[in-house]
Amino acid sequence: MADKRNKGYFGDGLLPVAKQYLYPSPRTSMVWIGGLAMVLVFGIFFYDASRRQGALVSNGPLSTHHATFGQDCSTCHTPFEEVTNDKCGTCHEKYGADLGRYSFESHYLYRTTDFSRLQSSPNEQSCATCHTEHQGRHVSLTDISDEQCLTCHEFGSFNTGHPEFEFVRDSLPDRGNLAFPHTVHVNEIMDRQELVDVQKSCLHCHNAKADGKSFKPIDFEKHCGSCHLTASTATPWIQTTDDPSSTPGVLRLKTIRAQSAPGTRWAYFSNPNEYQSRAGRVRKRPLYHEDQWILENLKQLRQAIYPSAELASLLKASADVPPGEATKLYKEALGTLREYAEELRAQPSRKVQQELRRVEKLLDVIERRLEDPLAPVDETRFVLSPAQLNPDLSEEQLSSYRETIDKLTQPCQTCHRVENATIARVQKEQDKLVRAGFNHGDHIIHTNCLDCHNQIPIQKYAAMDSTAPASKDRAAIFNLPAIDKCQSCHADGNAPNTCVSCHVFHPNKSRANLLRYVE
Amino acid sequence: MKMTAVYQRKRRTASRWYNKLIKSPAWLLAFLVASAACLGTYVANGIFGRVHPSTTWGWGYGIAATVLFVGTLVYGLRRRLMRFRPGRTFHYLQFHVYGGTLFLLLVFMHTGFQVPHGVLTWWLWFFSLWIVLSGLVGVVLQKWIPTMLASDLNVEVNYDRIPDLTEELRERAETLASESGPELRRWYRRKLADGLDAPHFRPLCFVNASAGRSNLARQLEHLRRVLPAEQKEELDELEEIVSAKHDIDAHYTLQTPLRWWLVLHLPVGLLLIALIGLHIFTVLYY
Repeated sequence: MADKRNKGYFGDGLLPVAKQYLYPSPRTSMVWIGGLAMVLVFGIFFYDASRRQGALVSNGPLSTHHATFGQDCSTCHTPFEEVTNDKCGTCHEKYGADLGRYSFESHYLYRTTDFSRLQSSPNEQSCATCHTEHQGRHVSLTDISDEQCLTCHEFGSFNTGHPEFEFVRDSLPDRGNLAFPHTVHVNEIMDRQELVDVQKSCLHCHNAKADGKSFKPIDFEKHCGSCHLTASTATPWIQTTDDPSSTPGVLRLKTIRAQSAPGTRWAYFSNPNEYQSRAGRVRKRPLYHEDQWILENLKQLRQAIYPSAELASLLKASADVPPGEATKLYKEALGTLREYAEELRAQPSRKVQQELRRVEKLLDVIERRLEDPLAPVDETRFVLSPAQLNPDLSEEQLSSYRETIDKLTQPCQTCHRVENATIARVQKEQDKLVRAGFNHGDHIIHTNCLDCHNQIPIQKYAAMDSTAPASKDRAAIFNLPAIDKCQSCHADGNAPNTCVSCHVFHPNKSRANLLRYVE
Repeated sequence: MKMTAVYQRKRRTASRWYNKLIKSPAWLLAFLVASAACLGTYVANGIFGRVHPSTTWGWGYGIAATVLFVGTLVYGLRRRLMRFRPGRTFHYLQFHVYGGTLFLLLVFMHTGFQVPHGVLTWWLWFFSLWIVLSGLVGVVLQKWIPTMLASDLNVEVNYDRIPDLTEELRERAETLASESGPELRRWYRRKLADGLDAPHFRPLCFVNASAGRSNLARQLEHLRRVLPAEQKEELDELEEIVSAKHDIDAHYTLQTPLRWWLVLHLPVGLLLIALIGLHIFTVLYY
């Protein structure tokens, strides 16, 4: 019954032992399957690379803004090289700009004129390092992680290592340059408008911009004019003179008209009835905001005291501007010179017209140079210092000049400071943070105005007959909280607390201005 | 005495369940230390840098994962390297298992524990997960199935011989049935013939290798009572055949996944080599 070739039986003698040694079955078929799969994969990707621009090897869809570049990888990629900044700059940088908008140099100079910061750092990275593409259509390229910033700025997180705000840390004054007690005005507005909610009185002057992020500059006509400089406001009686450079006093209207000095065309349109003369003295009523007669006389008196400060005479107010905004002064001075030149245009003399053309070309050249971010801008040339005082004037004469200036600007001094024969420049801009942005619209739905703006005790004195003492309520007080107030909400797991929540790396925040064809 | 004590200690620990699962505590310890080091590095990466495949950290994870993957391939090539005296298979296998698992951890670290967005990178991520999970399934099967096979079966058969042995049993049963009386023959045709015609896959065997045997025993016992005495010897012989077939079916059922899990593992490994190669090329190219 049993096969003779069998070597025996097992399993209770039922099953024959194998006739020969059985080797484990080879895995050749599996290797073949795997090999075929490899060939197939290479084939598919070769086809994809040659016909479909490597859609399969892409690390993911491009963001919406760059979506069309997915048709051509070479728009951004160069074989065997990283994505270079030049590729990004092809679209994003301006033609012929000396300083790239997105360069690290621009970042170093952001809101500062400190050119000593223009030193390259070994931590500088390419655009693509921070703005990581291929993360999907709806991923924002501007959501930058803190780690990117911390390679240079060793501040840790917002809640642990962020430095205190500069104005708190150094107890800096607000450079508003106005004499403005908030509590007086809040009470006045609440009375007049019969308000119950004190915060509504804030909105009387602080009007939001269209984007809701910040506020429009304070406007005298709109916010102050209804109470200040009414028809009855007048200057005191002031001694007149025909030459302020030799005798302290003010020029009368007819003298100004007779001199026809640059920038005095307004005098021909000024109402003589607003000027009252009596015994060699004059007073003006009513007065206007930025009253030309006052400003002209102030300029004449300033030139008498500071004869060498010619650039300061081209400004309407002092040279007190925030750091990095010195070009504002030059632009204002250029504007004044253009006004002077415009007044000469009416003169028919050929010589005057030729000279005028030469002056206008010169002003154009200066204006173009001011556009250059690397142009040296020295605001100190507008600043008046004691060293520039007229050495020919005695102390008595100086005192007399100062007395005249004080009388002339007395109505102005209700709100403005007058120093060095100049009205201090009012900082109209409401953005107080220098290196960070703040969106009021995002915050006002979570909290009230006075929860954060609590340095001046507005709430305490609201709807009371008394007002806060000047030590607690003046425009020089930064009515902003310390950083711990922000940190109480902007913590991990609560409101966003990344660097880019408040700061921007690139100076120009306007997206519309980021492309080369858009000015 | 001393040797006896060591022997007894070994025996005592050998009975614990984890000793059946873990072949080498040293390899496991090395794996745990390496995994902890990797995760520690990842945490440091999160604190001091950005987690992204394109950063230096990310490149490091990717390169380490590739090196580990290539290292695990050596296990498959070991048989072809015998002339170089490559060392014990045990260590190759341990590196294959633990290194492969660590490879997956490094892949996850490389992708920031997120699913990639690209087509190639997604497939890379998916097949990396697939190959490691299929490998771990293989490890579990190789621990579990041999224990099941050795637990309650009387015969041990080679998987490749199962069709031949089944045919042998069927022929023997057919012969026996044709030579037996009409009652036994009828019962064989009605109850047994279908079950003997080919190897049968019985999922219940994964739970109990001898499942179904008691049911058969009850039927045979009943039959034994009603059959004429001269057919009882043939019935005993038929019972032995059916019992052997039952064991062969259990082997067939249990050994099938043991053979076929490799189909899910090995070709994908080759495919992964191609995808990793493409990935490296595209990263360098772009």
